[in-house]
Amino acid sequence: MLDARSPLASAYSFEAKDIAIREEGGFTLTQVAGFGKGFEKSLAEAVGKLPARIGVAQANDAFTVLRIAPQQFWCVGEAAPAGLSGECLITPLSSGRCRIRVEGAHARRTLARGSAIDFDRSAFKPGQFVMTGIHHTPVLIHCVDAEVFHVYAMRTFALAVWEWLVDAAEGLVAGN
Amino acid sequence: MKIPCPHCGERDVSEFRYGGDASRQRPAHGTGDLKAWHDYHFTFTNPKGPHTEHWQHVLGCRQWFRLSRNTATNVIAGVVE
Amino acid sequence: MTAFRRLPGGGRIDRSRTLGFTFDGQRLFGRPGDTLASALLANGKLLVGRSFKYHRPRGFLSAGIEEPNGLFTIGEGNRAEPNIPGTMVPLSDGLVARSQNAWPSPAFDLMAVNSIAAPILGAGFYYKTFIGPFRKSWMFYEPFIRKAAGMGKADAAPDGARYDVEYGFTDVLVIGSGPAGLAAALTAGRAGAKVLLAEQDSELGGSLLAETSEALERWRTDTLAELRSLPRVTLLTRATAQGIYDGNQVTVAQHVAQGQLLHVIRARSIVHAAGSLERPLVFSNNDRPGVMLSSAVRSYLNRHAVAPAERAVLATNNDAAYSTAFALAEAGVAVTIAEERMAPAGDLLAQAAALGIAIFPNAGIADTFGGSQLKAVRLKGRHSVTIDCDVLAVSGGWNPAVHLSSHGGIKPKYDPAIAAFVPGGFAETHFGAGGTIGHFGWQACVRDGETAGKGALAACGIGKSPRAIDPPGVRDDRAYGIAVSRDPFDVSLPGKAFVDFQHDVTAKDIKVAHQEGFHSVEHLKRYTTLGMATDQGKTSNVNAIAMMAGLRGIGPEAAGTTTFRPPFSPLTVGALAGRSVGKHFRPVRRSPLHDWHARNGCTFIEAGLWMRAWYYDWAGPTPETAYVREMELVRKGVGIADVSTLGKIDVQGPDAAEFLNRVYVNGFAKLPVGKARYGVMLNDDGIVLDDGTTSRISDTQFYMTTTTAQAGEVMSWLEYLLQCHWTDLKVHVASLTDEWGGMAVSGPDSRKALELAFPEADVSNEGLPYMGVKDIPFGGTTVRLMRLSFSGELAYEVHCPANFTIALWEHILQAAAPLGIRPYGLEALASLRIEKGHVAGLELDHRNSLDDLGLGKMAAREKPYIGKELRFREAMQAPDRWSLVGLEALEPGKKLRGASILFAADDEIKGHGRGYITSVTWSTELNRFIALGLYQGGLRHEGEEIIAAFPLKNEQVRLRIVSPHFIDKEGTRLHA
Repeated sequence: MLDARSPLASAYSFEAKDIAIREEGGFTLTQVAGFGKGFEKSLAEAVGKLPARIGVAQANDAFTVLRIAPQQFWCVGEAAPAGLSGECLITPLSSGRCRIRVEGAHARRTLARGSAIDFDRSAFKPGQFVMTGIHHTPVLIHCVDAEVFHVYAMRTFALAVWEWLVDAAEGLVAGN
Repeated sequence: MKIPCPHCGERDVSEFRYGGDASRQRPAHGTGDLKAWHDYHFTFTNPKGPHTEHWQHVLGCRQWFRLSRNTATNVIAGVVE
Repeated sequence: MTAFRRLPGGGRIDRSRTLGFTFDGQRLFGRPGDTLASALLANGKLLVGRSFKYHRPRGFLSAGIEEPNGLFTIGEGNRAEPNIPGTMVPLSDGLVARSQNAWPSPAFDLMAVNSIAAPILGAGFYYKTFIGPFRKSWMFYEPFIRKAAGMGKADAAPDGARYDVEYGFTDVLVIGSGPAGLAAALTAGRAGAKVLLAEQDSELGGSLLAETSEALERWRTDTLAELRSLPRVTLLTRATAQGIYDGNQVTVAQHVAQGQLLHVIRARSIVHAAGSLERPLVFSNNDRPGVMLSSAVRSYLNRHAVAPAERAVLATNNDAAYSTAFALAEAGVAVTIAEERMAPAGDLLAQAAALGIAIFPNAGIADTFGGSQLKAVRLKGRHSVTIDCDVLAVSGGWNPAVHLSSHGGIKPKYDPAIAAFVPGGFAETHFGAGGTIGHFGWQACVRDGETAGKGALAACGIGKSPRAIDPPGVRDDRAYGIAVSRDPFDVSLPGKAFVDFQHDVTAKDIKVAHQEGFHSVEHLKRYTTLGMATDQGKTSNVNAIAMMAGLRGIGPEAAGTTTFRPPFSPLTVGALAGRSVGKHFRPVRRSPLHDWHARNGCTFIEAGLWMRAWYYDWAGPTPETAYVREMELVRKGVGIADVSTLGKIDVQGPDAAEFLNRVYVNGFAKLPVGKARYGVMLNDDGIVLDDGTTSRISDTQFYMTTTTAQAGEVMSWLEYLLQCHWTDLKVHVASLTDEWGGMAVSGPDSRKALELAFPEADVSNEGLPYMGVKDIPFGGTTVRLMRLSFSGELAYEVHCPANFTIALWEHILQAAAPLGIRPYGLEALASLRIEKGHVAGLELDHRNSLDDLGLGKMAAREKPYIGKELRFREAMQAPDRWSLVGLEALEPGKKLRGASILFAADDEIKGHGRGYITSVTWSTELNRFIALGLYQGGLRHEGEEIIAAFPLKNEQVRLRIVSPHFIDKEGTRLHA
């Protein structure tokens, strides 16, 4: 068996009083796309209810489903969705993204030092996600809880994004 | 400048890629009409004022859309269907 | 005898603590609440620097951001910052401050000799002196002139401060915390809006901080207490709003613990409450230390308890400045008023009389005396009286701070009632209040603020109506009463009358500019340099406009202002860069194999954003030696290289084949499943966009590869075609560049290597023919084997999901170890492909067509493809186009360099030549330098001898034009 390696293998976990940043791997990410309503029906049968619009994550039993484009979905879970019809165009992305957990009272301000998004408690609530950039690289940021965020970074940029976030957190901790 | 992505809402311009003039019809694929392609690719106006143009939300949903923007004031009238 | 003294009581300073600081090496003391300026004045330091051009002795003119004279270098070593106005530095314990532009000290400055040269140092003197026969002498004199002029020095060490950038969003942004700003913030805050208030000063209150009225102080503290109780209100101090940009984006630069924090704010509405700046009067020797703006004298007195020692004169053209005179008198200073106007208001006369203040009407200042410290002034007019004094407080009126509201392009307009410029209008969602729109009374400011706050709420669509603001318990505002003199300034009077203190521009310079035809205010500015110093003309612009208007016989409204641009005040570049410096300058992109390379003796090279394996220790210590051994291994045995950086795109859908058929010049519709094909795509204009190898995985799924450099471009291009134009095609594209890692296994032993690594798979010549593709399950994942060759040898590409790429790579190295397999890097990879004659990024530079690159035969004759039409336009078919050739060096001892310019053998080596080298390498197989290049007429000149010139090093090398395929022209190695 080939063993899996993380792009953050050389990174150190960052922990301070109000901010912790660590990798949260061990997920399967499958992108499913199609045309028209037919494929959505098949997908819903496999993963549960589909979100109606972009920006709100749908947490079902075995999958969290995100609509990332009008006819494209991300299914995050322990495995890939099974039993999808031929109308569903499947692209596995479990290696292509690295998931970073940003947590704590300083989490929102840490993210605000990387992306031009309103991360205020009233504007970015649990269940919401945004697709934006951190340090010019595409990321998806999912608000999992009031002070917990998942950042899906592109694998090849994961260490760069990690270092950016940790540096931002260090600045906040130092009072800057 | 803020660009109103029809799927993600208003975002900073740094999340987008500009795609040029969108006010004219692209010639159908395979017409073989050299003049039509020449005119489409090389001759277009560059108006000072309202301009319909393509933008792609590259750091977001990666969707292309058309926008009407005033090239003199950067005031965006809105997404064009 | 010092000009200023610290009063025994009063002021907003904490007398229970002492702060020590150093000025030019001398240890001094001040209080919390002091600025560097007030502390220096309290310590009797009036002379703090020398002026830019003439090295005249200078002291503080102001108490704020408009300060032109008192600039210091604050801090030491890599935290030293030059050109900081001492008026803006809150005193801290251990502060180190140094004066600038004076040697050895401001008091005894040897450079003051410039004053002797003053007559020839007027406006435009460089242009007038260094012309004609003296033009070249500029190069001799320039270093001396530069040394004699100038501001502080920047330390050459990397900046030791930390700069962060943070994005913020707010409903209402309030700029300024004076009465107008506080009222606006409270109005909006009470209605539940999210409010951000940015105050430049270290304390909140703006002009209120210079007041002693109990009622005003109560209003200030009550308002602040309520604001602080509102959870959605944020108050920032030491935070300067620097620029307003499209879409209500505002930059606010804040001084914080480790350095600076740049807030980049999106505001739904903006309240401009930045107040106004006082302007000085213009008269002979108006720059003598001790001459100050009246509001500065008042601020030092009331805020810092620093008062003129004994005697003060106030020169004014308006009523408002009288408050300074009255405050001084109440503090025990002997005050005389030099009134520029004929008759001041009656109530002011009465109050002055009651305080024992003498007033001379119709008597501005004619001159000042005292060397480097003011001793006396002489009045104009019939009296021609000379009055001894320590301080001359001047007031030429107030200029609303229109900078930020003008950043959007709305030019200010002149308001004759206050003889100043006010904002010419406000964009939708912007509101002005108080001094910034020319309203100068407490009640007016508070009312304005409330109105602006309500406007901001409406602009945000917040319907809630807030409780009304209680007005401050002071009497109603009185009129301003300003009357400006329209008489042109008499430049024949002796002594310099300064308009721009920091750049040493005088009234005479303005007259000279006018005489020489520089009438427009924009020309006046550039010709005299007025308004171009670090104070950006805050105390000089309006006076200069008025003077030029007077000379032109027009009103100031017709002269207009120059354009206001961000930043409002000097902003260090570091603050704009934030953390995007050093290794964070650009995001570093790493292959899934990166960690393996790093642990196994690899040297990396930057290729765009990527870190790529360049060469390995096992092959040699330097790139020049290592790649030779790596190439030999590939040509003779088997090597393995990381090709993960290639763009990879998933193309799926019922119309996938049709889509690729349209995009590539060659046919893809009929590509069988399990086969790969080299494809080239053109742009609409017929120029080559990219190349790659695309494999058919199923009827409706293709695995496309692109060059590393163009991966993003091609992805956006495909999405553009599908989403904007070919919306009827049912195709989805998804980037797989990050999902899959890839390695090239290349060399005559590569098949044997794969047999060892994948014993269950059929990788024979029949099982995996040339350009064949097959997916095999291996080690719990999917491995995609493709028989492709970039190197020209028998070769394969092995791809797998990136999580497992290192493990797979290690497995192949281990399994094929008996064959002597080793890794090879980018240098060898590139060299191999040049020998083979494969075009790559350097040839695909978006200027070349298919025919230019020798690929014309690839294109389908019948089927349409993007770029087909314009590919055949006249210019693209011209016979003398530069097209691809191979080049062999004929002079063994000489180095052949990339980007060399190509000339025919008997051409003069000059100009653009007939082509250039695109890629060059030392060929181990041919034992000479070889290159690919573009040459006029291309392979029609095969066999001819030409010259490659590298003018930067004055080198020339003789070359022969040959086929670009240097090795294995028949392709026997590939098809083994």
